[in-house]
Amino acid sequence: MTTEELKAIQADKVVDSRGTACPGPLLAVKQAMADIPSGGVMQILSSDAGTKRDIPRWAAKKGHEYLGDFEEAGFFTLYLKKA
Amino acid sequence: MAKKMTIGLSSSCIDKLTGLGVILSGAAAEDLEVDLFILVNAGHAFLKNKAENLKEMSDQVQTSEEFLKSLEQLKTPHWIEFFEMAKDMTTVNILLCSLAGKIAGSDAKEDYIDLVDDICGIGEYIDSAGEADINLFI
Repeated sequence: MTTEELKAIQADKVVDSRGTACPGPLLAVKQAMADIPSGGVMQILSSDAGTKRDIPRWAAKKGHEYLGDFEEAGFFTLYLKKA
Repeated sequence: MAKKMTIGLSSSCIDKLTGLGVILSGAAAEDLEVDLFILVNAGHAFLKNKAENLKEMSDQVQTSEEFLKSLEQLKTPHWIEFFEMAKDMTTVNILLCSLAGKIAGSDAKEDYIDLVDDICGIGEYIDSAGEADINLFI
């Protein structure tokens, strides 16, 4: 998806893990998954560079759809759709 | 069936325990089942009167004060908190080898923090390691 398409998504849950280091963002995402329904979309905000590799890899293993990410204002914004 | 990871821990050093905490977090995210065996010199770290205030470092690139300060700046949890989070998120069995207990001064479960599930013998570690998909020795 393009950055514009990602920005247009209305997320069901926002996980703001900015300021935490690995493995903080991954754990926050894993815990927050219980809060959204199947098909729901999660937006993740992270300032940890490892997140850009870790979250898509984890999502693929768990069967969730990784929608994409963009970097802006010094942090990453990532989107996942729950299986 | 969940994949299984078996870990033998033989250190009471705070840098190694923190690294193990990070690994346990990754295991929890992957829904791995974990058996953690506290061996030889690792019993000290889990004693009720020591766990919160460990200062020993295995790697001397930083002092323990510098190391703990860097963790705080990075908002990285204390190793005990990492272990607790992993236990909340997946199955983590933490067993203290009775020899490690004796070396630490007690093989009574009540002298150890609540993270420790039970006291065991080395045979259980060997069995667990034989069944595991991933084996680590720290």
